[in-house]
Amino acid sequence: MQVTDKNRPNEAWIASMRSRFPCEAEIDRILTRKLRKRSSPSYQPIPLETLVAGLEKLLRVNRVEDFSIESPRWLSGGASKLQMAFDLEWQRPGAGFERTAMVLRMEPAESIVETSRLREFQLIKEFAGVVPVPPVFWCDPDGEYLPYPALVYGFAPGVPKPTTAVSGVSGVGTRMPRAIREYLAPQFAEILARIHRHEFSRENLSAFDVPRVGTTECAEWGVNWWDRVWQEDADEDVPMLSVASAWMRRNLPVLDFASVVHSDYRTGNFLYTEHDNRITALLDWELGRIGDRHQDIAWTTSRAFSSMAEDGKTMLVCGLMPEAEFFERYQKASGLSIDPRTVHWYKVYNAYSIAVLILGTGYRIARNGKTHQDILVAWLIGIGYMIVDEMRQLIEEGC
Amino acid sequence: MQMRPDVQIAAMAKAMQDVVIPAVAGTNKLAEEQAKLVVGMLHLMAHQLPLQFRFDRDELERLMAAGAALEALPAADPAIRSATDALAGHRGAAAQLLEQCRRDPAELQQSVHAMRASICAVVEAFAAKGGDAQLEVERIVLAMSAEQLLRDRSLMKPQGWEPDPAAVPDIVSMIGD
Repeated sequence: MQVTDKNRPNEAWIASMRSRFPCEAEIDRILTRKLRKRSSPSYQPIPLETLVAGLEKLLRVNRVEDFSIESPRWLSGGASKLQMAFDLEWQRPGAGFERTAMVLRMEPAESIVETSRLREFQLIKEFAGVVPVPPVFWCDPDGEYLPYPALVYGFAPGVPKPTTAVSGVSGVGTRMPRAIREYLAPQFAEILARIHRHEFSRENLSAFDVPRVGTTECAEWGVNWWDRVWQEDADEDVPMLSVASAWMRRNLPVLDFASVVHSDYRTGNFLYTEHDNRITALLDWELGRIGDRHQDIAWTTSRAFSSMAEDGKTMLVCGLMPEAEFFERYQKASGLSIDPRTVHWYKVYNAYSIAVLILGTGYRIARNGKTHQDILVAWLIGIGYMIVDEMRQLIEEGC
Repeated sequence: MQMRPDVQIAAMAKAMQDVVIPAVAGTNKLAEEQAKLVVGMLHLMAHQLPLQFRFDRDELERLMAAGAALEALPAADPAIRSATDALAGHRGAAAQLLEQCRRDPAELQQSVHAMRASICAVVEAFAAKGGDAQLEVERIVLAMSAEQLLRDRSLMKPQGWEPDPAAVPDIVSMIGD
Protein backbone atom coordinates (compact mmCIF):
# COMPACT_ATOMS: atom_id res chain seq x y z
CA MET A 1 0.00 0.00 0.00
CA GLN A 2 1.28 3.43 -0.92
CA VAL A 3 1.72 5.89 1.93
CA THR A 4 1.86 9.51 0.99
CA ASP A 5 3.12 10.94 4.26
CA LYS A 6 4.70 8.95 7.09
CA ASN A 7 4.47 12.06 9.24
CA ARG A 8 0.67 11.85 9.07
CA PRO A 9 -0.10 8.14 8.73
CA ASN A 10 -3.72 7.19 8.13
CA GLU A 11 -5.53 4.24 9.73
CA ALA A 12 -5.44 2.14 6.58
CA TRP A 13 -1.66 2.36 6.40
CA ILE A 14 -1.30 1.64 10.12
CA ALA A 15 -3.48 -1.45 9.66
CA SER A 16 -1.29 -2.58 6.76
CA MET A 17 1.84 -2.30 8.93
CA ARG A 18 0.19 -4.36 11.67
CA SER A 19 -0.92 -7.15 9.38
CA ARG A 20 2.26 -7.23 7.31
CA PHE A 21 4.62 -7.53 10.30
CA PRO A 22 3.09 -9.66 13.07
CA CYS A 23 4.98 -9.23 16.35
CA GLU A 24 4.30 -9.47 20.08
CA ALA A 25 1.02 -7.91 21.19
CA GLU A 26 2.66 -5.29 23.44
CA ILE A 27 5.17 -4.33 20.75
CA ASP A 28 2.27 -3.95 18.32
CA ARG A 29 0.45 -1.78 20.87
CA ILE A 30 3.30 0.67 21.42
CA LEU A 31 4.20 0.93 17.72
CA THR A 32 0.56 1.54 16.83
CA ARG A 33 0.30 4.19 19.55
CA LYS A 34 3.44 5.84 18.16
CA LEU A 35 1.93 6.08 14.68
CA ARG A 36 -1.42 7.37 15.92
CA LYS A 37 0.32 10.13 17.85
CA ARG A 38 2.85 10.99 15.16
CA SER A 39 0.98 13.95 13.73
CA SER A 40 0.62 15.49 17.20
CA PRO A 41 2.82 18.46 18.11
CA SER A 42 6.58 18.19 18.51
CA TYR A 43 8.16 17.78 21.94
CA GLN A 44 8.18 20.95 24.01
CA PRO A 45 10.29 21.36 27.15
CA ILE A 46 8.31 20.23 30.19
CA PRO A 47 8.65 22.20 33.42
CA LEU A 48 9.65 20.18 36.48
CA GLU A 49 6.45 21.42 38.17
CA THR A 50 4.38 19.57 35.55
CA LEU A 51 6.24 16.35 36.21
CA VAL A 52 5.89 16.76 39.97
CA ALA A 53 2.14 17.33 39.61
CA GLY A 54 1.80 14.22 37.41
CA LEU A 55 3.90 12.21 39.82
CA GLU A 56 1.68 13.25 42.73
CA LYS A 57 -1.34 11.91 40.84
CA LEU A 58 0.47 8.66 40.08
CA LEU A 59 1.41 8.21 43.74
CA ARG A 60 -2.14 8.90 44.95
CA VAL A 61 -3.70 6.45 42.53
CA ASN A 62 -1.22 3.88 43.88
CA ARG A 63 -2.46 4.68 47.39
CA VAL A 64 0.69 6.41 48.56
CA GLU A 65 -0.47 8.95 51.09
CA ASP A 66 1.15 11.54 53.27
CA PHE A 67 4.18 12.02 51.04
CA SER A 68 6.36 14.87 49.92
CA ILE A 69 8.37 15.13 46.70
CA GLU A 70 11.63 16.93 47.44
CA SER A 71 14.50 18.29 45.32
CA PRO A 72 13.19 17.46 41.83
CA ARG A 73 15.96 17.93 39.26
CA TRP A 74 16.85 16.81 35.74
CA LEU A 75 19.30 14.00 35.17
CA SER A 76 21.37 14.38 32.01
CA GLY A 77 22.59 11.58 29.79
CA GLY A 78 20.85 9.08 27.54
CA ALA A 79 19.36 9.74 24.14
CA SER A 80 16.09 7.91 24.56
CA LYS A 81 14.29 8.92 27.78
CA LEU A 82 13.80 11.95 30.06
CA GLN A 83 14.86 11.41 33.66
CA MET A 84 13.98 13.43 36.76
CA ALA A 85 15.69 12.64 40.05
CA PHE A 86 13.87 13.43 43.29
CA ASP A 87 13.64 12.43 46.93
CA LEU A 88 10.39 11.00 48.23
CA GLU A 89 9.54 11.46 51.88
CA TRP A 90 6.91 8.83 52.63
CA GLN A 91 5.74 5.97 54.77
CA ARG A 92 7.38 3.09 52.97
CA PRO A 93 5.41 -0.15 53.45
CA GLY A 94 7.28 -2.38 55.85
CA ALA A 95 9.96 0.22 56.54
CA GLY A 96 8.21 3.23 58.06
CA PHE A 97 9.05 6.86 57.34
CA GLU A 98 11.84 7.19 54.82
CA ARG A 99 13.46 9.69 52.49
CA THR A 100 14.07 7.62 49.36
CA ALA A 101 16.11 8.76 46.36
CA MET A 102 14.17 7.95 43.18
CA VAL A 103 14.16 8.56 39.42
CA LEU A 104 11.19 9.22 37.17
CA ARG A 105 11.98 7.80 33.74
CA MET A 106 9.66 9.11 31.04
CA GLU A 107 9.43 8.89 27.26
CA PRO A 108 9.57 11.99 25.07
CA ALA A 109 6.91 12.49 22.36
CA GLU A 110 8.73 9.87 20.27
CA SER A 111 11.85 8.05 21.32
CA ILE A 112 14.82 6.82 19.30
CA VAL A 113 13.78 3.44 20.65
CA GLU A 114 10.04 3.03 21.13
CA THR A 115 9.63 0.56 23.99
CA SER A 116 7.08 -0.36 26.62
CA ARG A 117 7.38 1.04 30.14
CA LEU A 118 5.11 -1.79 31.27
CA ARG A 119 7.53 -4.43 29.96
CA GLU A 120 10.48 -2.67 31.58
CA PHE A 121 8.56 -2.44 34.87
CA GLN A 122 7.52 -6.10 34.80
CA LEU A 123 11.01 -7.33 33.95
CA ILE A 124 12.73 -5.43 36.75
CA LYS A 125 10.14 -6.63 39.26
CA GLU A 126 10.47 -10.21 38.00
CA PHE A 127 14.23 -10.20 38.55
CA ALA A 128 14.24 -8.60 42.01
CA GLY A 129 16.05 -11.11 44.22
CA VAL A 130 17.21 -13.14 41.22
CA VAL A 131 19.91 -10.83 39.90
CA PRO A 132 20.88 -7.35 41.12
CA VAL A 133 18.35 -4.78 39.88
CA PRO A 134 17.35 -1.34 41.13
CA PRO A 135 14.11 -1.19 43.10
CA VAL A 136 11.16 -0.28 40.89
CA PHE A 137 8.07 1.33 42.41
CA TRP A 138 5.31 2.53 40.08
CA CYS A 139 4.43 2.62 36.41
CA ASP A 140 2.25 4.87 34.24
CA PRO A 141 2.25 2.70 31.09
CA ASP A 142 -0.06 4.89 29.00
CA GLY A 143 0.88 8.36 30.24
CA GLU A 144 -2.42 8.62 32.08
CA TYR A 145 -1.00 10.78 34.88
CA LEU A 146 2.26 12.06 33.41
CA PRO A 147 2.66 13.77 30.02
CA TYR A 148 4.05 10.54 28.51
CA PRO A 149 4.42 6.90 29.68
CA ALA A 150 6.79 6.63 32.63
CA LEU A 151 8.02 4.54 35.52
CA VAL A 152 9.57 5.31 38.88
CA TYR A 153 12.55 3.41 40.20
CA GLY A 154 15.00 3.77 43.04
CA PHE A 155 18.70 4.44 43.03
CA ALA A 156 21.11 1.56 43.40
CA PRO A 157 24.58 2.10 44.83
CA GLY A 158 27.60 1.88 42.58
CA VAL A 159 29.32 3.18 39.47
CA PRO A 160 29.19 1.97 35.85
CA LYS A 161 32.97 2.21 35.43
CA PRO A 162 35.97 2.98 37.63
CA THR A 163 35.86 6.61 38.69
CA THR A 164 39.31 7.00 37.11
CA ALA A 165 38.52 5.18 33.81
CA VAL A 166 38.25 6.74 30.38
CA SER A 167 35.55 5.48 28.00
CA GLY A 168 33.24 6.52 25.20
CA VAL A 169 29.55 7.38 25.29
CA SER A 170 27.44 5.20 27.62
CA GLY A 171 30.39 3.15 28.88
CA VAL A 172 31.30 1.87 25.43
CA GLY A 173 35.01 1.07 25.15
CA THR A 174 35.63 0.89 28.88
CA ARG A 175 38.63 -1.23 29.83
CA MET A 176 38.42 -2.33 33.42
CA PRO A 177 41.76 -2.49 35.25
CA ARG A 178 42.96 -6.06 35.71
CA ALA A 179 42.50 -5.96 39.49
CA ILE A 180 38.83 -5.01 39.07
CA ARG A 181 37.93 -7.29 36.17
CA GLU A 182 39.16 -10.33 38.09
CA TYR A 183 36.21 -9.73 40.39
CA LEU A 184 33.67 -8.48 37.86
CA ALA A 185 34.26 -10.99 35.04
CA PRO A 186 32.95 -14.08 36.88
CA GLN A 187 29.93 -12.17 38.16
CA PHE A 188 29.22 -10.74 34.71
CA ALA A 189 29.09 -14.18 33.06
CA GLU A 190 27.29 -15.82 35.96
CA ILE A 191 24.54 -13.16 36.16
CA LEU A 192 23.81 -13.50 32.44
CA ALA A 193 23.56 -17.26 32.94
CA ARG A 194 21.11 -16.68 35.80
CA ILE A 195 18.95 -14.40 33.64
CA HIS A 196 18.81 -16.98 30.87
CA ARG A 197 18.13 -19.86 33.24
CA HIS A 198 15.44 -18.00 35.19
CA GLU A 199 12.06 -19.76 35.23
CA PHE A 200 9.95 -16.74 34.48
CA SER A 201 6.36 -16.30 35.52
CA ARG A 202 3.91 -15.98 32.63
CA GLU A 203 1.56 -14.15 34.97
CA ASN A 204 4.14 -11.59 36.11
CA LEU A 205 5.37 -11.05 32.55
CA SER A 206 1.91 -10.55 31.06
CA ALA A 207 3.21 -7.93 28.60
CA PHE A 208 5.38 -10.55 26.89
CA ASP A 209 4.50 -13.25 24.39
CA VAL A 210 6.43 -16.50 24.64
CA PRO A 211 7.74 -17.92 21.36
CA ARG A 212 7.39 -21.65 20.77
CA VAL A 213 10.50 -23.76 21.30
CA GLY A 214 11.43 -25.90 18.30
CA THR A 215 10.23 -23.25 15.83
CA THR A 216 11.64 -20.11 14.20
CA GLU A 217 8.85 -17.96 15.69
CA CYS A 218 11.17 -16.08 18.07
CA ALA A 219 13.56 -14.96 15.33
CA GLU A 220 10.69 -14.16 12.97
CA TRP A 221 8.94 -11.94 15.53
CA GLY A 222 12.22 -10.10 15.97
CA VAL A 223 12.74 -9.51 12.25
CA ASN A 224 9.11 -8.44 11.89
CA TRP A 225 9.55 -5.96 14.75
CA TRP A 226 12.50 -4.17 13.18
CA ASP A 227 11.20 -4.46 9.62
CA ARG A 228 8.04 -2.75 10.82
CA VAL A 229 9.95 0.04 12.59
CA TRP A 230 12.00 0.56 9.44
CA GLN A 231 8.91 0.79 7.23
CA GLU A 232 7.23 3.18 9.67
CA ASP A 233 10.14 5.50 10.27
CA ALA A 234 12.62 5.45 7.38
CA ASP A 235 12.79 8.26 4.87
CA GLU A 236 15.40 6.98 2.41
CA ASP A 237 15.38 3.30 1.41
CA VAL A 238 18.61 1.34 1.96
CA PRO A 239 19.02 -1.68 -0.36
CA MET A 240 21.52 -3.25 2.06
CA LEU A 241 18.81 -3.38 4.73
CA SER A 242 16.44 -5.13 2.31
CA VAL A 243 19.16 -7.71 1.65
CA ALA A 244 19.77 -8.11 5.40
CA SER A 245 16.09 -8.69 6.08
CA ALA A 246 15.89 -11.27 3.29
CA TRP A 247 19.09 -12.97 4.52
CA MET A 248 17.75 -13.19 8.07
CA ARG A 249 14.43 -14.62 6.91
CA ARG A 250 16.24 -17.19 4.79
CA ASN A 251 18.38 -18.32 7.72
CA LEU A 252 15.99 -18.08 10.71
CA PRO A 253 17.40 -20.05 13.68
CA VAL A 254 15.21 -22.50 15.59
CA LEU A 255 14.69 -21.66 19.26
CA ASP A 256 15.97 -24.46 21.49
CA PHE A 257 15.22 -22.87 24.88
CA ALA A 258 13.13 -19.82 25.78
CA SER A 259 14.93 -17.36 28.07
CA VAL A 260 14.44 -13.84 29.22
CA VAL A 261 16.83 -11.82 27.10
CA HIS A 262 18.13 -8.50 28.45
CA SER A 263 19.03 -7.20 24.96
CA ASP A 264 21.58 -4.61 26.15
CA TYR A 265 23.82 -6.61 28.48
CA ARG A 266 27.21 -4.92 28.51
CA THR A 267 29.63 -2.80 30.48
CA GLY A 268 28.01 0.57 31.05
CA ASN A 269 24.66 -1.05 31.84
CA PHE A 270 25.57 -2.42 35.24
CA LEU A 271 26.66 -0.74 38.44
CA TYR A 272 29.19 -2.08 40.93
CA THR A 273 30.47 -0.82 44.26
CA GLU A 274 34.13 0.08 44.16
CA HIS A 275 34.95 -0.87 47.74
CA ASP A 276 34.15 -4.56 47.16
CA ASN A 277 33.86 -4.84 43.34
CA ARG A 278 30.39 -6.34 43.63
CA ILE A 279 27.80 -5.87 40.85
CA THR A 280 24.85 -4.11 42.46
CA ALA A 281 22.38 -3.42 39.64
CA LEU A 282 21.64 -4.26 36.02
CA LEU A 283 20.15 -1.30 34.18
CA ASP A 284 18.33 -0.58 30.90
CA TRP A 285 15.94 -3.49 30.53
CA GLU A 286 13.71 -1.63 28.07
CA LEU A 287 14.46 -3.88 25.07
CA GLY A 288 14.17 -7.10 27.06
CA ARG A 289 12.08 -9.90 25.61
CA ILE A 290 11.48 -13.59 26.01
CA GLY A 291 13.60 -15.11 23.32
CA ASP A 292 16.90 -16.66 22.38
CA ARG A 293 19.95 -16.38 24.67
CA HIS A 294 22.14 -16.09 21.58
CA GLN A 295 20.78 -12.56 21.07
CA ASP A 296 22.44 -11.47 24.34
CA ILE A 297 25.60 -13.46 23.64
CA ALA A 298 25.93 -11.86 20.20
CA TRP A 299 25.33 -8.41 21.68
CA THR A 300 27.67 -8.80 24.64
CA THR A 301 30.53 -10.13 22.48
CA SER A 302 30.10 -7.39 19.87
CA ARG A 303 33.36 -5.72 18.85
CA ALA A 304 31.74 -2.36 19.57
CA PHE A 305 31.76 -3.12 23.30
CA SER A 306 35.15 -4.82 23.43
CA SER A 307 38.46 -3.33 24.40
CA MET A 308 42.08 -4.41 24.22
CA ALA A 309 43.91 -5.86 27.22
CA GLU A 310 47.16 -4.38 28.47
CA ASP A 311 49.16 -6.78 26.26
CA GLY A 312 47.84 -5.02 23.16
CA LYS A 313 46.67 -8.25 21.49
CA THR A 314 43.93 -9.82 23.63
CA MET A 315 40.45 -8.52 22.92
CA LEU A 316 38.30 -8.43 26.05
CA VAL A 317 34.53 -8.95 25.91
CA CYS A 318 33.04 -5.77 27.39
CA GLY A 319 36.53 -4.92 28.63
CA LEU A 320 36.33 -7.80 31.10
CA MET A 321 37.63 -11.12 29.76
CA PRO A 322 38.64 -12.91 26.55
CA GLU A 323 35.75 -14.36 24.56
CA ALA A 324 36.76 -17.98 25.18
CA GLU A 325 36.77 -17.37 28.92
CA PHE A 326 33.37 -15.65 28.73
CA PHE A 327 31.87 -18.59 26.79
CA GLU A 328 33.37 -21.11 29.22
CA ARG A 329 32.15 -19.30 32.31
CA TYR A 330 28.70 -18.74 30.82
CA GLN A 331 28.23 -22.33 29.68
CA LYS A 332 29.44 -23.70 32.99
CA ALA A 333 27.11 -21.45 34.97
CA SER A 334 24.05 -21.90 32.75
CA GLY A 335 24.42 -25.44 31.49
CA LEU A 336 23.31 -23.99 28.14
CA SER A 337 25.26 -24.45 24.94
CA ILE A 338 26.37 -21.73 22.52
CA ASP A 339 25.79 -22.33 18.81
CA PRO A 340 28.24 -20.18 16.81
CA ARG A 341 25.90 -20.10 13.77
CA THR A 342 23.04 -18.76 15.89
CA VAL A 343 25.38 -16.21 17.48
CA HIS A 344 26.37 -15.10 13.97
CA TRP A 345 22.71 -14.74 12.94
CA TYR A 346 22.00 -12.63 16.01
CA LYS A 347 25.03 -10.42 15.30
CA VAL A 348 23.39 -9.58 11.97
CA TYR A 349 20.03 -9.13 13.73
CA ASN A 350 21.51 -6.81 16.35
CA ALA A 351 23.31 -4.70 13.74
CA TYR A 352 20.09 -4.54 11.73
CA SER A 353 18.09 -3.29 14.71
CA ILE A 354 20.64 -0.56 15.51
CA ALA A 355 20.78 0.51 11.87
CA VAL A 356 16.99 0.76 11.82
CA LEU A 357 16.95 2.87 14.96
CA ILE A 358 19.74 5.21 13.91
CA LEU A 359 19.02 5.68 10.21
CA GLY A 360 15.23 5.32 10.34
CA THR A 361 13.87 6.35 13.72
CA GLY A 362 16.68 8.83 14.43
CA TYR A 363 15.93 10.68 11.21
CA ARG A 364 12.15 10.65 11.69
CA ILE A 365 12.09 11.96 15.26
CA ALA A 366 14.75 14.61 14.65
CA ARG A 367 12.93 15.77 11.53
CA ASN A 368 9.69 16.07 13.48
CA GLY A 369 11.26 17.61 16.61
CA LYS A 370 9.94 14.82 18.82
CA THR A 371 12.56 14.56 21.55
CA HIS A 372 14.51 16.48 24.15
CA GLN A 373 17.70 15.39 22.35
CA ASP A 374 17.06 15.99 18.64
CA ILE A 375 20.58 17.28 18.14
CA LEU A 376 22.01 14.07 19.63
CA VAL A 377 19.85 11.67 17.59
CA ALA A 378 20.61 13.67 14.43
CA TRP A 379 24.32 13.48 15.24
CA LEU A 380 24.04 9.70 15.67
CA ILE A 381 22.73 9.25 12.11
CA GLY A 382 26.37 9.53 11.02
CA ILE A 383 27.41 6.28 12.70
CA GLY A 384 24.68 4.35 10.89
CA TYR A 385 26.80 3.77 7.79
CA MET A 386 29.60 2.12 9.74
CA ILE A 387 27.06 -0.19 11.39
CA VAL A 388 25.43 -1.09 8.06
CA ASP A 389 28.88 -1.79 6.62
CA GLU A 390 29.73 -4.09 9.55
CA MET A 391 26.43 -5.88 8.96
CA ARG A 392 27.29 -6.25 5.27
CA GLN A 393 30.61 -7.87 6.19
CA LEU A 394 28.86 -10.27 8.58
CA ILE A 395 26.43 -11.30 5.85
CA GLU A 396 29.25 -11.83 3.37
CA GLU A 397 31.08 -13.97 5.94
CA GLY A 398 27.89 -15.95 6.48
CA CYS A 399 27.04 -16.46 2.83
CA MET B 1 22.62 9.89 2.37
CA GLN B 2 20.20 10.51 5.20
CA MET B 3 22.33 13.07 7.05
CA ARG B 4 21.30 16.24 5.22
CA PRO B 5 21.11 19.92 6.08
CA ASP B 6 17.32 19.96 6.58
CA VAL B 7 17.41 17.65 9.59
CA GLN B 8 20.76 19.01 10.83
CA ILE B 9 19.54 22.61 10.85
CA ALA B 10 16.20 21.78 12.48
CA ALA B 11 17.93 19.86 15.30
CA MET B 12 20.50 22.63 15.87
CA ALA B 13 17.81 25.31 16.06
CA LYS B 14 15.74 23.26 18.52
CA ALA B 15 18.74 22.61 20.78
CA MET B 16 19.50 26.33 20.84
CA GLN B 17 15.90 27.34 21.49
CA ASP B 18 14.95 24.66 24.04
CA VAL B 19 18.20 24.22 25.95
CA VAL B 20 20.95 26.77 25.30
CA ILE B 21 19.00 30.05 25.24
CA PRO B 22 17.00 29.29 28.43
CA ALA B 23 20.28 28.31 30.13
CA VAL B 24 22.05 31.58 29.36
CA ALA B 25 19.01 33.86 29.58
CA GLY B 26 19.46 36.54 32.18
CA THR B 27 23.00 35.48 33.03
CA ASN B 28 24.95 36.64 29.97
CA LYS B 29 23.32 39.26 27.77
CA LEU B 30 25.87 38.96 24.94
CA ALA B 31 25.64 35.16 24.88
CA GLU B 32 21.83 35.31 24.85
CA GLU B 33 21.80 37.84 22.01
CA GLN B 34 24.26 35.85 19.93
CA ALA B 35 22.45 32.58 20.61
CA LYS B 36 19.24 34.15 19.29
CA LEU B 37 21.12 35.35 16.21
CA VAL B 38 22.41 31.82 15.66
CA VAL B 39 18.80 30.56 15.71
CA GLY B 40 17.76 33.29 13.30
CA MET B 41 20.62 32.43 10.96
CA LEU B 42 19.75 28.72 11.11
CA HIS B 43 16.13 29.43 10.19
CA LEU B 44 17.34 31.61 7.33
CA MET B 45 19.58 28.78 6.12
CA ALA B 46 16.68 26.32 6.27
CA HIS B 47 14.64 28.72 4.13
CA GLN B 48 17.45 29.57 1.75
CA LEU B 49 19.09 26.21 1.05
CA PRO B 50 16.38 24.61 -1.08
CA LEU B 51 15.99 27.83 -3.08
CA GLN B 52 19.61 28.81 -3.53
CA PHE B 53 20.24 26.98 -6.82
CA ARG B 54 17.07 28.32 -8.44
CA PHE B 55 17.86 31.78 -7.07
CA ASP B 56 21.32 31.77 -8.66
CA ARG B 57 19.93 30.48 -11.95
CA ASP B 58 17.27 33.18 -11.96
CA GLU B 59 19.88 35.86 -11.27
CA LEU B 60 22.11 34.60 -14.09
CA GLU B 61 19.21 34.84 -16.54
CA ARG B 62 18.57 38.42 -15.51
CA LEU B 63 22.27 39.33 -15.79
CA MET B 64 22.35 37.83 -19.28
CA ALA B 65 19.36 39.87 -20.36
CA ALA B 66 20.95 43.04 -19.02
CA GLY B 67 24.26 42.07 -20.66
CA ALA B 68 22.58 41.70 -24.04
CA ALA B 69 21.05 45.14 -23.66
CA LEU B 70 24.43 46.63 -22.74
CA GLU B 71 26.16 44.99 -25.69
CA ALA B 72 23.60 46.57 -28.02
CA LEU B 73 24.60 50.10 -27.00
CA PRO B 74 26.83 52.11 -29.43
CA ALA B 75 30.47 51.49 -28.48
CA ALA B 76 32.87 53.48 -30.67
CA ASP B 77 35.33 54.09 -27.86
CA PRO B 78 38.00 51.35 -27.81
CA ALA B 79 37.84 50.97 -24.04
CA ILE B 80 34.05 50.57 -24.15
CA ARG B 81 34.33 48.17 -27.08
CA SER B 82 36.85 46.08 -25.17
CA ALA B 83 34.58 45.92 -22.12
CA THR B 84 31.44 44.99 -24.09
CA ASP B 85 33.38 42.34 -26.04
CA ALA B 86 34.49 40.78 -22.74
CA LEU B 87 30.92 40.94 -21.53
CA ALA B 88 29.72 39.17 -24.68
CA GLY B 89 32.25 36.40 -24.09
CA HIS B 90 31.06 35.87 -20.55
CA ARG B 91 27.43 35.97 -21.64
CA GLY B 92 28.06 33.22 -24.17
CA ALA B 93 29.66 31.03 -21.51
CA ALA B 94 26.81 31.83 -19.12
CA ALA B 95 24.23 30.83 -21.74
CA GLN B 96 25.92 27.46 -22.19
CA LEU B 97 26.10 26.90 -18.44
CA LEU B 98 22.50 27.91 -17.92
CA GLU B 99 21.40 25.43 -20.54
CA GLN B 100 23.21 22.69 -18.58
CA CYS B 101 21.62 23.81 -15.29
CA ARG B 102 17.99 23.47 -16.27
CA ARG B 103 17.45 20.65 -13.71
CA ASP B 104 17.25 21.29 -9.99
CA PRO B 105 19.55 19.49 -7.45
CA ALA B 106 16.39 18.42 -5.62
CA GLU B 107 15.52 16.35 -8.70
CA LEU B 108 18.82 14.51 -8.37
CA GLN B 109 18.03 13.68 -4.76
CA GLN B 110 14.52 12.55 -5.72
CA SER B 111 15.99 10.30 -8.39
CA VAL B 112 18.38 8.74 -5.87
CA HIS B 113 15.40 8.12 -3.58
CA ALA B 114 13.41 6.54 -6.40
CA MET B 115 16.29 4.28 -7.45
CA ARG B 116 16.88 3.15 -3.87
CA ALA B 117 13.19 2.34 -3.43
CA SER B 118 13.04 0.48 -6.76
CA ILE B 119 16.10 -1.63 -5.96
CA CYS B 120 14.63 -2.50 -2.54
CA ALA B 121 11.40 -3.55 -4.24
CA VAL B 122 13.34 -5.83 -6.61
CA VAL B 123 15.27 -7.38 -3.69
CA GLU B 124 11.99 -8.04 -1.86
CA ALA B 125 10.29 -9.47 -4.95
CA PHE B 126 13.16 -11.94 -5.54
CA ALA B 127 13.28 -12.78 -1.82
CA ALA B 128 9.60 -13.72 -1.92
CA LYS B 129 10.34 -16.29 -4.63
CA GLY B 130 13.67 -17.59 -3.25
CA GLY B 131 16.09 -19.74 -5.23
CA ASP B 132 19.41 -19.04 -6.90
CA ALA B 133 18.19 -15.82 -8.48
CA GLN B 134 17.70 -14.33 -5.02
CA LEU B 135 21.32 -15.07 -4.17
CA GLU B 136 22.47 -13.37 -7.37
CA VAL B 137 20.36 -10.29 -6.56
CA GLU B 138 21.91 -10.16 -3.11
CA ARG B 139 25.43 -10.52 -4.55
CA ILE B 140 24.84 -7.49 -6.77
CA VAL B 141 23.46 -5.38 -3.92
CA LEU B 142 26.24 -6.44 -1.54
CA ALA B 143 28.85 -5.36 -4.08
CA MET B 144 27.13 -2.03 -4.72
CA SER B 145 26.67 -1.45 -0.99
CA ALA B 146 30.34 -2.11 -0.25
CA GLU B 147 31.32 0.77 -2.53
CA GLN B 148 28.53 3.13 -1.49
CA LEU B 149 28.96 2.53 2.26
CA LEU B 150 32.65 3.35 1.98
CA ARG B 151 31.68 6.74 0.55
CA ASP B 152 28.98 7.24 3.20
CA ARG B 153 31.51 6.48 5.94
CA SER B 154 34.06 8.77 4.37
CA LEU B 155 31.61 11.67 4.21
CA MET B 156 30.86 11.19 7.92
CA LYS B 157 34.54 10.76 8.89
CA PRO B 158 34.82 14.22 10.48
CA GLN B 159 32.40 13.02 13.18
CA GLY B 160 35.11 10.71 14.53
CA TRP B 161 33.28 7.36 14.52
CA GLU B 162 35.90 5.44 12.56
CA PRO B 163 38.24 3.35 14.76
CA ASP B 164 40.88 3.50 11.99
CA PRO B 165 40.24 6.70 10.00
CA ALA B 166 43.28 6.12 7.79
CA ALA B 167 41.62 2.97 6.42
CA VAL B 168 38.75 5.04 5.01
CA PRO B 169 39.85 7.02 1.91
CA ASP B 170 39.16 10.71 1.69
CA ILE B 171 35.79 11.45 0.09
CA VAL B 172 37.23 13.77 -2.59
CA SER B 173 39.49 10.97 -3.82
CA MET B 174 36.43 8.79 -4.40
CA ILE B 175 33.86 11.19 -5.87
CA GLY B 176 36.17 13.63 -7.66
CA ASP B 177 36.69 17.38 -7.33
